[in-house]
Amino acid sequence: MTNRLRVLRAERAWSQAELASRLAVSRQTVNAIETGKYDPSLPLAFAIAELFGQPIEAIFGPNGGPRA
Amino acid sequence: MLCKPNRFTWHLLGWALLSATLALVGALLKRWALAPGGLRSVVALLPVLPMVGYFLALTRWVRSLDEMQRLIQFEALLVQFAITALSVMGYGVLAETGAVPNPPVGDLWPGIWLLLFVSWSLGQAIVRRRYR
Repeated sequence: MTNRLRVLRAERAWSQAELASRLAVSRQTVNAIETGKYDPSLPLAFAIAELFGQPIEAIFGPNGGPRA
Repeated sequence: MLCKPNRFTWHLLGWALLSATLALVGALLKRWALAPGGLRSVVALLPVLPMVGYFLALTRWVRSLDEMQRLIQFEALLVQFAITALSVMGYGVLAETGAVPNPPVGDLWPGIWLLLFVSWSLGQAIVRRRYR
């Protein structure tokens, strides 16, 4: 699964630690999601979508899809 | 890299130290003061009680983790289980054949705890590399 988490975070000038705090997860988890090494659960993906105010499909996409 | 120490780490360490202290006191009492009998058995069991606190603290710690950290711990526990089970089973089989000493089980548990801790740490180190 690909995602635009790093781009969205950069747009808000948040650090990984700050985003992790807002999502109530560890910084390592944010980093693993950004680098594609870990795919979040559906509840976490929805929490991310809600935090950035975007639909879930605007942030996450299938493998091989466009990655902004 | 292992987790940074937090309040759960200190809880776990505290319960483990209490258990080890009671084990030491129990061993000294067994050697110098207590005759075989009921009281000696009670003293011998004392180190087991703090382990209840240890496992409760461990449960609270795991529940405080996020989903990826839980996955890491689960996979690390698989590594721990594999290493410990194979080591203990291998040692047991060798002890039956007389190839290695066959001490009482009570003398083995500190070594088994050490093995559990080392294999868990090794498991974490291995699994964390995948998500780094």
